[in-house]
Amino acid sequence: MGNEPNELWELPAEEVARQVRAGERSAVAVTEAALARTARVEPLLAAYLALYPDAARARAAEIDARVAAGEDPGPLAGVPVALKDNLNVQGFPVTCGSKILQGYVAPYTATAVARLLAAGAVILGRANMDEFAMGSSCENSAFQKTRNPWDLRAVPGGSSGGPAAAVAAGSVALALGSDTGGSIRQPAALCGVVGVKPTWSRVSRYGLVAFASSTDQIGPLARTVRDAALTLRVLAGADPNDATSSLLPVDDYLEGIEAGIAGLKIGVIQEIDDSGLPEAARRSFRESLDRLVAAGAEIVPVSVPTVDAAVAVYYVIATSEASANLARFDGVRYGRRSQEAESLADLYLDSRSEGFGPEVKRRIMLGTFALSSGYYDAYYGRAKAVLDRMRRELERALGDVDVIATPTTPGAAFRLGEKADDPLAMYLSDVYTTPASLTGLPAIAVPSGADDAGLPLSLQLTARAFDEATMFRVARAFEREVGWQVAPRFVGAMGATGAEASP
Amino acid sequence: MALTTDDVRKIATLARLRLSPEEERLFADQLGKIVDYIDQLQKYEIEEGEAGSPFLAGEHEAHEAIDEIRPCLPRAEFLANAPAALDGFLLVPEIKGSDHHGE
Repeated sequence: MGNEPNELWELPAEEVARQVRAGERSAVAVTEAALARTARVEPLLAAYLALYPDAARARAAEIDARVAAGEDPGPLAGVPVALKDNLNVQGFPVTCGSKILQGYVAPYTATAVARLLAAGAVILGRANMDEFAMGSSCENSAFQKTRNPWDLRAVPGGSSGGPAAAVAAGSVALALGSDTGGSIRQPAALCGVVGVKPTWSRVSRYGLVAFASSTDQIGPLARTVRDAALTLRVLAGADPNDATSSLLPVDDYLEGIEAGIAGLKIGVIQEIDDSGLPEAARRSFRESLDRLVAAGAEIVPVSVPTVDAAVAVYYVIATSEASANLARFDGVRYGRRSQEAESLADLYLDSRSEGFGPEVKRRIMLGTFALSSGYYDAYYGRAKAVLDRMRRELERALGDVDVIATPTTPGAAFRLGEKADDPLAMYLSDVYTTPASLTGLPAIAVPSGADDAGLPLSLQLTARAFDEATMFRVARAFEREVGWQVAPRFVGAMGATGAEASP
Repeated sequence: MALTTDDVRKIATLARLRLSPEEERLFADQLGKIVDYIDQLQKYEIEEGEAGSPFLAGEHEAHEAIDEIRPCLPRAEFLANAPAALDGFLLVPEIKGSDHHGE
């Protein structure tokens, strides 16, 4: 991909929608281009659990008919999108990357998806994920391992690995993911795209399969900051079907996004020990701060002493909530039922034991332990108290600065299988993303360059609650300074390396 | 904190999971290491009453004020996903004497 897109699938969502609304380009042509691109890259990536080309074509024709009739199909008119497979779409299966939802067909549509459709988007397919969004590599999917489009030997990150790979490879311009401890931002970082975890409650979770309700959020993955801002504006807002959705009005995130960051303050957490980071990641972070300064911002040290505890707090809180949320999968009301069971108790035990994969079992076990009699105060109670302290520290820090900058991940994409047998090593991938998850703050992952092997690195910006506008403004200024192009090289494709291997 | 396979079996029972002996051994090892890592939380001195207010306090009342009674998912549509149903009800195996393999 050069500086000027020369293929239809390379166009930003914003430009696709502009052309379709103006009648300059048909949604059908855009959809055909996305399907053709997908046919070339999908055999390399395995990003999708299901593709719906016929439904996408029919939907695109409907958009074109509306344009022809003088109607406006909306701000995402004709834009091809992928959905993480934990979002319900009426009449379609949803698997959560798990065997336990075998046979389940969604009886209703998630509000976030309904909003995308109301804005004119065209759904291409359901994208792969770690089972029940539990993982940082997409290797915990019960169905397939998705590959990273920059290097097919590497993981795409997780749990929204399918959406991130699909966006990076140009199969779609946008995708929806969900982020509980970093599941949008980490795969966005590893695939070299933009990923947003909005403020908790900013986007309705109605129709999202629950993992940890105190941190789950739906958000966009996109190739540009502007596209992510445009999409969040579509997704955000109160929903009568989700009593945890915020009633606060939604800002127009594109307004002022180009205003630059002269005079803004960027906080850097003093307690983060980056000595364990690979040299390239450390260098990239320092260069990122230099770029923010070059754009006119001031770097200000801030103190968040509990930041080191974030992964430990997260793996108590999130697993505790998961152990309760996943109790509903018991083979009685929907999904897979064990055929062996002769009694109700055996039905629960067998359906769950046959249906859940190892990481889901591990997390249910950990959460059950943390909530169990005799351990509750020492684990759940203590994690909650440390979390409350972390929230106060971050709020105080964000009183002094406009956003806080950290790396998004402790390094670039790792190899498939590299951390698969070491759950704790995998959990530590979430070291930078968990603080914003736990405290509900909005955060964005923006590509910051590449390591020596050409794999993407990423900067994370965390803002005040509901101040996504400032988050996007800083991210856009940073994106301009970096001049990053989402142009994965598909290293390892058919034995070749480098740009010539690109499909 | 070392977890024994007995501990793992007890947790599995609470979690309604049946683990194989290999899974019990693996989880005892893996969960033990994870709990060791989580034990760093014990170093924080927590003061009495330090638990803070919930995120977005007050919004739930606002939601309740605008809550309306509306129809929920029709029974037939709900039951379309059920592994087994009869006459509008979910069908399950016998309950009697079934807890924990007892007679």
